[in-house]
Amino acid sequence: MNDLSETKPSSSGVGLADDQSAFLKLLQLADSSFPIGALAHSFGVETLVSSGSITVTEVPGFLQAYLEETGTMQACFCRAGFHAASEFSSERWVQINEHLSALKPARESRSGEAVLGLRLMVSVMALGDFPLLRASLDAAKRVGVHVHHGPAFGLVSAVLAFDEEQVVLAYLHQMLANLVSAFQRLLPIGQSLATRLLWEMKPTIIGAAHDSRISDEYAGCFMPLLDWGAMEHADLPTRLFIS
Amino acid sequence: MRNQCEPVSGRVKASLQLHFEHDLVSRHTVLRECKQEAPLRVVRAFTLEDGAALVHLHNVSGGLLGGDQLEFVIDVGPEASAQLTSTGATRVYRALDHDGDTIQVNRIRVAENGMLEYVPDPLIPFSGARLLQSTSIDLASGAGLFWWDVVAPGREAHNELFAYHRIELRTKVQALRKQIAAERMCVEPRKRNPTSPGRMGTYRYWTTFYICRVGASNKMWLEAEQHLRGVAAGLSQPQSALWGVSTLPAHGLVVRGLTVHGRDAIAGVRVLWQRAKPWLFGKEAILPRKIN
Repeated sequence: MNDLSETKPSSSGVGLADDQSAFLKLLQLADSSFPIGALAHSFGVETLVSSGSITVTEVPGFLQAYLEETGTMQACFCRAGFHAASEFSSERWVQINEHLSALKPARESRSGEAVLGLRLMVSVMALGDFPLLRASLDAAKRVGVHVHHGPAFGLVSAVLAFDEEQVVLAYLHQMLANLVSAFQRLLPIGQSLATRLLWEMKPTIIGAAHDSRISDEYAGCFMPLLDWGAMEHADLPTRLFIS
Repeated sequence: MRNQCEPVSGRVKASLQLHFEHDLVSRHTVLRECKQEAPLRVVRAFTLEDGAALVHLHNVSGGLLGGDQLEFVIDVGPEASAQLTSTGATRVYRALDHDGDTIQVNRIRVAENGMLEYVPDPLIPFSGARLLQSTSIDLASGAGLFWWDVVAPGREAHNELFAYHRIELRTKVQALRKQIAAERMCVEPRKRNPTSPGRMGTYRYWTTFYICRVGASNKMWLEAEQHLRGVAAGLSQPQSALWGVSTLPAHGLVVRGLTVHGRDAIAGVRVLWQRAKPWLFGKEAILPRKIN
C-alpha cells in the first residue's frame, strides 16, 4: 500500500501518484465530512437569514453571487497555495496568507477560515511525513499569520500531486456544498432542493474556477452585505454556527 | 450649458501633492508643500481647534471625466495632523466608448505619530461611468487614520440606479510595512447584479471606513470593536441601514455600512468617527467646516 508521504509535488516530475489514487484522495479531502469543522461555520450567512435578507427564494441568487465573488477570490488563493509548493519559500507562503487575511474584513470569517486551514494541514500531516507542510506551518507560526483554508487546500493538493484544475473545482464544490448544508439547517430547504441547487450551480463553479486564473495580487470580491453578516454574527441571540 | 448626461472626454493627467508638517513653534500642522495641477486645486489650509490642518480638495472641472488620470499624493509628517475633505460629492461622469477608464490614484503616507482624517462626500458614478480608484496607505509607528469611502448607486434624482459601467476600488493599507487591509471591489452592474443577496441586497449605498492607530494592542482593538459595535447597532435599522464593525488583522478596525439613503451613510460614518476618535485618541472629531 502506498504511503501518502511517498508522493511528491507534481512540479518535481518524479514519483507522481497514480491518477486514480490521487483522484480518490482529492475526493476525500474535499468531502464535507473530512474532519476539519467546515460545517460548523456559516461565514455570515446565518445573520443574513436571521435578518430576513435571505429567504428560500433568494438562495440560488446568493449562491451564484457567492461563487462569482468569494468563490473566485478563494479559488485564486487556492491556486496560489498550489503554486507555492513548487520552489517553496516561506516568505511567499506568508505573503499569500497575509494578503488573504487583509482581504477579509470580518474577523469571524478570517478566524474561521484559519481554523479550517490549520486543521486541514494538521489532518493531512497525520497521514504521512510531509516536510513541506510542516515548514509552511512553522513559517506561519513564526510570524503569527493565519493559514487560510484556500491556500492550505492548494498547498496540500500540490504536495499530494493532484491536478490543479481538479483541485480548484473540488475546492469550490466543497465550499458550495458546505454553504448549501448551512442553508438546509437555517431555512426550510429539503434534500431535493439542496441536491438541485448543487446540481445547477456546476456551470457557475466552472466559471469561478476559470475566473480564478489570475495572480492573487488581483484577487478581491464585492460582498458587503455578507461582510456585514459575518461582522454581526456574534451578536445574534441564538446561533447554530460558530462565532 | 453642457448637459450632464452627455459623455465628455477628459484625458486630463493631473497631480495634487500635499505635504503636512508639525510646526514646533505654533504647535499647529501646516501645509508645507502644495503642488497642484489643474483641475485639482487646494485653496489653503485652515487650522482646526486642535491644531490640525483642514484642506478642501477641489476638482474645478466639476468631477471626474472619462479618461482622466488623477493622482493625489498626501504626505503627513511626524506628529502632524491633517483633515482632508471634498467640497461636494465626487461626480464620475459617463465615459466615451473610446476613452480609457477614469483613474484616480491616491498615495498616502502618514509618518510617526501623524494623523490623517479623510472624510469626503460620497462618490456618485453617473450612467456609463468607468472608474478605477487605487489607494495605497502607509502608516508608520503611532500613526492614526480615519478614512472612508461612501459610494452612491448613481444619480438617484435622475432615476439612475447602478447605471454606471464599472466602479473598481482597490485599497491597500500597510502598517509598519505589513499589510493590514486590502480591498479590490469591482462592481459591473451589467455583468453582475449588485443588488443580488450577499452583495448589496436591497441597499443602495455602500461604505467602508478604516480606523487605525499603529501600535495599539490587539486587546485594545477588541475592546474598541465592542465599543463601536454598540454604536453601530444603534445606527442600524432593518431595511434602511446596516452597520458592522470588525478588527483588522492588526492595528485597526474596519466598518462596513449599507444604507438605502445617502444621508444615512454620511450620518453613520460621522457618528462612528465622533465616537471612535475620543475613545482611541482622546480627542474630539471636528466635523469639516463646510458642514458646521
